[in-house]
Amino acid sequence: MSHFDEMTALLYLDGQLDASHAEDVKKHVNDCPACAAMLHAIAHEGVWLRDALAADEETIPAQLAGAPERESFPLGWAAAFAFGCGGAYTLWAGLIAPWQAQASEAGFTQGNLLTMLFFSGAFWRGWDAMLTGMGVVAGAILAAVAAWLLRRRWKWLTTAAVVVMGCALVMLATPSPAGAAQVQHGDPDFTLPAGQTVETDLIVFGNYVRIDGDVNGDLITFSQNVTVNGQVKGDVICFARELTVNGAVGGNVRTWSQSLTIEGTVEKNVTDFSRQFVLENKGTVNGSIMGATGDAVLDGTLGGDLLSAAGTMEIQGSLGRNANIRAERLTIGPTAVIAGATKYRGRETPKISPQAKLGSPPEITIEKRGPDYTRFRYYWHRIELWGAAFLFGLAWILLLPAVFFDATNACKRIGRSLGFGVLFLIVTPIIAGIVCITIVGLGIGLATLLLYLIALYSAQIFVGSWVGEMLLGSRYGVGAATARLALGLAVLRVLISLPYAGGWILLFVTILGLGGLILALHKRLRPHATAVAVA
Amino acid sequence: MSTAALAKLLAEVRAGDANAWGELYRQHAAAIFRLCRRVLPTREDAEDATTEIFMKVRQKLGSYDASRPFTAWLYKVASNHCWDLLRRRRIRQDLETGELEDMPLQHPDPSQIERLQTLHSGREVRAGLARLPDRSRMALVLRYYAEMSYDEIAETLGVRRAFVGVLLLRARHQLRDAVAATRAAAPKTLSAGAQS
Repeated sequence: MSHFDEMTALLYLDGQLDASHAEDVKKHVNDCPACAAMLHAIAHEGVWLRDALAADEETIPAQLAGAPERESFPLGWAAAFAFGCGGAYTLWAGLIAPWQAQASEAGFTQGNLLTMLFFSGAFWRGWDAMLTGMGVVAGAILAAVAAWLLRRRWKWLTTAAVVVMGCALVMLATPSPAGAAQVQHGDPDFTLPAGQTVETDLIVFGNYVRIDGDVNGDLITFSQNVTVNGQVKGDVICFARELTVNGAVGGNVRTWSQSLTIEGTVEKNVTDFSRQFVLENKGTVNGSIMGATGDAVLDGTLGGDLLSAAGTMEIQGSLGRNANIRAERLTIGPTAVIAGATKYRGRETPKISPQAKLGSPPEITIEKRGPDYTRFRYYWHRIELWGAAFLFGLAWILLLPAVFFDATNACKRIGRSLGFGVLFLIVTPIIAGIVCITIVGLGIGLATLLLYLIALYSAQIFVGSWVGEMLLGSRYGVGAATARLALGLAVLRVLISLPYAGGWILLFVTILGLGGLILALHKRLRPHATAVAVA
Repeated sequence: MSTAALAKLLAEVRAGDANAWGELYRQHAAAIFRLCRRVLPTREDAEDATTEIFMKVRQKLGSYDASRPFTAWLYKVASNHCWDLLRRRRIRQDLETGELEDMPLQHPDPSQIERLQTLHSGREVRAGLARLPDRSRMALVLRYYAEMSYDEIAETLGVRRAFVGVLLLRARHQLRDAVAATRAAAPKTLSAGAQS
């Protein structure tokens, strides 16, 4: 046997070699003074290490003199729980509850707010027939990504989280079971002639879509220009540049468009996100109108509530119930009738004609430009924002601690984090937008945007934790991390609230934190050699 | 403490005897604190971790297999807890394995190793240990303080058993360098260390 190496010597001393190999080493040592000396040195080093590690050079701290009792509750967890409860309360009381109250007040009581925002399921129902392959494709992509991640890091919680999140997004994008539907691709335009009836849902792609006939189910369109002259018994769900409803809609109108014009009748509600919305003089909506729009003109008849955020709002028609309006400018004309209460919040005093018939005196709140430092509400709102951010950060610490600490540490490398932060801040929405434009990628695009928004919001968490670490040090444990987060976020909240500089600080924090998160994720997902290869 | 006496003490602890729990704690707290002190960066961390470990021990005592040495089980709980703490903070810092190719497998000079052992005190060894990457430090402590087997080390650190030897040898090399650097960086430590 030739000279053996140091590894063999260590394994021999630790009894890790198989019997025959160990016997070879033993024989060789008897004949080879050099290897014997090396073996002796390695063995003695073990003793040296044991002595050094076992040395009792420090006394046990006084606080460890007594055994910990089972009943004692870890302070860190208690603090985390208390902060969590506080954060949950402030999040609920400050953000969610007011919105829900507003929606409820406006008559939107059908299910919860989230369901309503997602079009009560009607929006997704149509996808089933329209793009049956989308779910399969998205599922296949995510499965491939999951397999790719699992191959490297099957143990990691991050992988599990990514997979779970991916599954959740697939579920979000996967339509619920629906009945049959007729799918039409315009060439490039599509017209349903008068006198013809589609008995099922109708899904249409085309540049110009004209519905002169009747649809007994829902009408779902992806087009530039849509005109409904006939009758749709179900909902009209529309992604278009222009949507005009001249006919009768038995269900709801849900639209995401540049302009929406209603000259006909909508039996239920209108949910509208458009640049321009006009309810013409002849137009009637028997349910409620909810939406965000650039310019809105209500000249027709609205049976239910109005809940709207708008740039400018002009009301000339009649409203059967309450109006809750947040706008830059509001005009209520002489022909307007609002049977219920009128609430307005905006920066300019509304122009209300004396001839207008209002059910009760309007409740008007004029907002000042910029924050009002003299009001307690302003400071309470800062606390609420802090609480919400803290709660979110707590979720990061408890659910994905490794990513949280990695991202926090990455923020310390300011140059790299800023670079990546700027890049992803700009590029991500562009890519998501492009993906959204391609119809197949709409679900993935929206999911990307959702994750992007979450990442932007998370940015302050990581930077706040870093700031807290600078102030409090870097002790281990959830309690210490929680305290750092709480203090850091409070400091950031103060800095962000500063006049003039606050906006720039917020931008800096967002970019830095986003970059930190990207670096942390990159670190976690990048391929690298595995240690076990040496065995 | 004899096996029978320990079994009796553990049974009393399980039955909720506060005095027995206090006795068990007194017997082992110093060793666990020392383990924490060796692997965690600050004394405060070690204090917190010691308390947390004994809370875990009390909760998990029902799962202790009496056929195994109690001390080994205790060290296992403690090392898992410490490693978990370290992983949460620096999970990736010492997982890079690119340097494995640099692992010297040739015949080392025994005289150099022995000279290092002669010249450097235990205090310097501990100071050098504190500067090692988490996993290397943890491996040395588990092997030469907690006297864990290769299987137990592999399980605690989440590596393959066959890799433990590599890990220990690399840690030894890193420690030699760190100890040598300690002397080079702080000559005054020599006199102080020689006394320990």
